[in-house]
This record gives sequence, C-alpha cells and structure tokens, in this order.
Amino acid sequence: MKYLVRHRSVLAFTVGVGISCLMMGSAAGALLDGVMGGVEKSLAKRAEEKGEPLIIGNFYQAERPDSHGPIGVMGDHTHNKGEFMFSYRYMRMFMDGNRDGTHNVSASNVLSAYVVTPLQMTTQMHMFGWMYGLNDTVTLTAMVPYVMKSMDHRNRAGVKFTTNSSGFGDMKLGALWRLYAFETPSIGSHRFHLNSGVSLPTGDINPRDNTPLGNNTLLPYPMRLGSGTVDLLPGLTYTGLLNDVTWGFQALGTIRLGENQQGYREGHRYQINSWGAYRWAKWVSTSVRFHWQQWGNIKGRDGQLQTTVGPNQLVPTADPDLRGGRRLDVLGGVNILFPEWMGLENHVSVEAGLPIYQNLDGPQLKQSYSFWASWQIVM
Amino acid sequence: MRNVSVVAGFCCLGLLFVCASQGNAYEIQPVNQGGGIQGQVFFAGTPPAPLVVEVDKGPEVCGKERQLVKVETQNGWLSGAVILVEGIQTGKPFPVQAFSGKLPGEGEFRYQGGERLGLQVKTKGCNFGPFTGVVAVEDPVIFENQDSIKHTLHTFASMDSKGIMLRTIHNQDLHPMDSMARTFEVDKLRGSRVVRITCNRHDFMQNWLYVVDHPYFAISDQDGRFAIHQIPPGRYTVLAWHPILGEQRQDVHIASGGQVTLEFRFSRAQSE
Repeated sequence: MKYLVRHRSVLAFTVGVGISCLMMGSAAGALLDGVMGGVEKSLAKRAEEKGEPLIIGNFYQAERPDSHGPIGVMGDHTHNKGEFMFSYRYMRMFMDGNRDGTHNVSASNVLSAYVVTPLQMTTQMHMFGWMYGLNDTVTLTAMVPYVMKSMDHRNRAGVKFTTNSSGFGDMKLGALWRLYAFETPSIGSHRFHLNSGVSLPTGDINPRDNTPLGNNTLLPYPMRLGSGTVDLLPGLTYTGLLNDVTWGFQALGTIRLGENQQGYREGHRYQINSWGAYRWAKWVSTSVRFHWQQWGNIKGRDGQLQTTVGPNQLVPTADPDLRGGRRLDVLGGVNILFPEWMGLENHVSVEAGLPIYQNLDGPQLKQSYSFWASWQIVM
Repeated sequence: MRNVSVVAGFCCLGLLFVCASQGNAYEIQPVNQGGGIQGQVFFAGTPPAPLVVEVDKGPEVCGKERQLVKVETQNGWLSGAVILVEGIQTGKPFPVQAFSGKLPGEGEFRYQGGERLGLQVKTKGCNFGPFTGVVAVEDPVIFENQDSIKHTLHTFASMDSKGIMLRTIHNQDLHPMDSMARTFEVDKLRGSRVVRITCNRHDFMQNWLYVVDHPYFAISDQDGRFAIHQIPPGRYTVLAWHPILGEQRQDVHIASGGQVTLEFRFSRAQSE
C-alpha cells in the first residue's frame, strides 16, 4: 500500500489509460481516422488512376502464418473487437564469457580485478500472455512471466559454483491503440498502432542462494527476477503486407520510474525491431529480424548487496556501473499456422538468433544466443 | 463579459446542431392522396462474368467452389438495383419486407418495418443475403449467423457510389449460431451513402447497401420491376443505384393519387 501511495502518478496514469480504453468503446476505429485527409486524397487519386480500391482502417489479421510477427516481437498486432488470444512463449537466452566494450575479456583478466567472475548464464522464461480486442480501437494485453536464472562462476581459488533464482517476473499490462491503416492491391496494406503499457514490480528483487560467501546470500543484479520499479512501456509499431511478403518496424521503450525498495533503479531500455517475412505456403512463413537494444546502467545501488571482500572488488555483476550496453541481434524464425480446429486459430512459432554487435559496459557477460518458441491460440 | 459571449456562442452552435440533426429526421405521418412510381430497370450489354472463388474456410458448409454474381440480369432486365425517391421527410411507415440471397445459401435481408427500417441480416450457407439492399443511419442492424462456422463481418463506408474508397466501420467475428447488433453511426459513415458488407474469411460473401432515411425505396426484382407506393404528392428526384453499374437520376412529378412509370437503362460502359 505504501508503495502504491508512493507512486500516485503511476496509479493515476494507469487509471487514466484504463478509463480512456473504456471510453473508446463507442468511438470510431483507428485514432487518426478522419485527420489524414491530405494523405487519403493523394492515396485515393493514385488508386483511382490504377483502377483499384483504397481501403482505410482495415486492421483485420487474415489467418496466415505471418499475420503475427516473429515470435520474439511483443505487441506486433492488434485484435478485432471481441477477439481473444492466449499465448505461451518459451524463451531461452544463453550468455557465455565476458566482454568490455566490444572486446572479449578472459576469466583470468576479470579475476585480476575481482575475486569472482561470472562464466556463463542461462535465462529461461515461460511467458503466459493474453490479448483481447476491447473495441475497434484498443487491444488489451497482459503477460505473466515465470523466470528461471542460473549463473556459473569461478573464484580466484579456482572454485566453480552456480547460483540459481526462479519465480514469477514482472507482470506487464498494456493497451495497443490502432492509429491508422490503409491498403490497395498494388501497394499492399500498411498499419500503424501505438504500444502502451506498464510493468508492475511483481518479480523478486531479493533472490538468495548459497555461495562460497555463505548460505542464503543476496544475489547480484542480473539474477533478479524483476526491476522492482513500475516501468512504463511506450512504443510505436508499423506492419506491412503485400501478397506473400510481410514486414514490420517497432520502437519500444522501458522507462523506469522512481527507485525500488532496495534503493536502486535499473537503466532505461530502448529497443528497435525490424523484420521481414515470406509466406512459402498457406501454412508456413519464415522471417529475418534485426533487434537493436540499448540499456543503461543502474542508478543508485542495493545497500544490502556485498560488493567487496576485504580490499578487493567481489564480482562485476554487483557493480551498478557495469550493467549498461548496446547490442544488435539477427534472428531467423519460422511461423506455422495449423488448420483451424473447433473454431480456434493455432500458431506455432520458433525463432533463434545471435548477436552481431555487442558493446557492453564491462566486464559483463556477453550474449551467445537466444531462442524462442511459442504457441498462440486465437478465438 | 467576454466569457459570457463565448458561452452564448457555443450554446447557439449547439442549438444549431440540434436543429440541423432534427431537420433531417424522417417523420411518419398519414399520406393523403399519395401517388406511386413503378417501372423497370434495363441492362444493355453482357454482364461481367461471375467471380469464381475456391472455398478455403469451411467448405463443408459453404461448398468447395462459389460464385459471386455482381450483375444479375434476365432477358436484359436488371435485378438488385436500388430505387430511391430522394428528399422525402414525412410519410408512410417503413414496410415489412424480406429479400433472399441468390442460391446457394439461404441468406436473407429482412426489414422489420414500422417506425424504423429494422434490417436483419440472416446468414445461412455462407450467404449474407442479396447482393444489394438498404440500411438506415443510427438504426441497429441485427446480424445473425445460422451457420456452424465462424464468419468475420467486415463493413465499410464507401466514400463514393462504387466502392473505390472504402473506410472500415465494423470488423468483428460473427460466431456460429450467434447474433449481434451493429449500428452504422453518423460519425462513422461521414456522409457516405453506400455501405459494403464482406466476410473476411469468404471473399464471395459481399453485399452492398444504400443508406436511406425513409421508406420510399424499392429493389428491382428478377424482371427488373420496381414499385413504390403512397408517395406524398410533389416533385422529386428518383435515384437508381447499382454498386457495379453506378447511379442514374430522373425528376418526376407525383400528382395526387397519380402514378408515374419510369425506366432506367444501365450499360456496361457505365461500370467501366
């Protein structure tokens, strides 16, 4: 309760968004319908010259494998009024070895400055998501992740040990707002929507495990299951479709508000996704995606976290100034649409990728690969 | 003082809007010595070939292949043309009428009549009903799916009479054996006089509706015939509209108890 009082502005924002969503119930479709007169005239003229129809405001997701973006992209599509989608996503991310800037750093180099070095880290997430078309404008979203983290370490004495943390992560609630859509047979379909959301601090930021320092030791920042802060999740998504080709662009932000109960705030995160997909048959499409991420260092510090052993620094993962970075991943994916069963539309998708550029405020563990698999049911 | 003027200005504007909106409302009143219009609609030339569509979703209900006949003629007479007497603001109640869709399928447009148009769209056998019909602004339309498969209703306002520029109004699943009411609101139609209905899952399910605000309309039958009764005496413009062939207008004078015969002639050239 104290926390909620502390974040009155967030509460007000969330309630405001909620009320806006409900008020949009009787509104016209996309938010920018009717204010794009000039664009529409120009499009209509071009369409008329070609003798083809121009359709404004169609956000319908045809039942095709690439009607949903690559599975690692969240909030890539909207739903029609009354339509409901349940999704289960599995994500596995593996980090191996350390990096400082754009250069790899060996374990022995890290150990020259720290008592302990991280060697590898595996993060797995089971994400349960819901999407619901509230009306012709707003699609509501919710996502609850279950997170499992495991990190291998080695200390100066050569002793290897592993720490683990697991539990529910930060729950995300959001609304996707249809902005504008237009299509003609020759230029295809072009759709824009706004992403908005809030991440609630439901993930544990006080995980503990046994280490050589002692039993039930507080684990450092990367092992925590949530940010501990209320985070805003603004964004903008554009998707296009022409015959068997689809493409998309999405810019997303994670804006942390205030600081958490442990006295720190994770860095803001900015992401850009751009992808293209080709439909090979009615039931299968493949995709290529570029994913740029940039995230900042931690502001403040967790006063309860041990950072030194005598005069020596303990481990880089406990240093709030060694958390930031930038990374560009390239990912390949496959989307499969199964035949409709009991009126349900089933999508199964996988995606995997590697970083092609990593610039980390290190030493920090560098990403090796990520893998996504998902099952989505639209009803 | 300045604020008072601003408030007064807004009040006046509000009143103007109220008056303007009330001015357009149709009022049911007894018609004395009403006249009538009857006639036929003719089509010259060869109608466009039916669109043949291979059924992808639910062929067990819709059939494996379907045709969409956009211009339906018989011996040169055009059926499905909407005939409308324009500009009538008072007169008879809305009649009870029903029009069936072209086979296969048993889709139907049923107009409940009375004080409002009361359109009910029955979908059966992957058929929304006849290719053309009418719809009234702000009058709820009941869409009823009697099929055992889902249809995805997609309605558009056409910014022109032939559907060159379309704007989505509703886009929603119509579940098996379910029904829903949807209204074509003024702010969504934005002055459009033509509405298109499609099913996103079945391309051959397409219908066109002309927006009316009174009951003085008719739809030409298989012999191209139409008749409109109980028209208050006066001078009017009569519209004949077909979504593929376009529109034509003729001026008429309806005398007390008089009958006027009209003939509309469409040709392929008008559709191109």
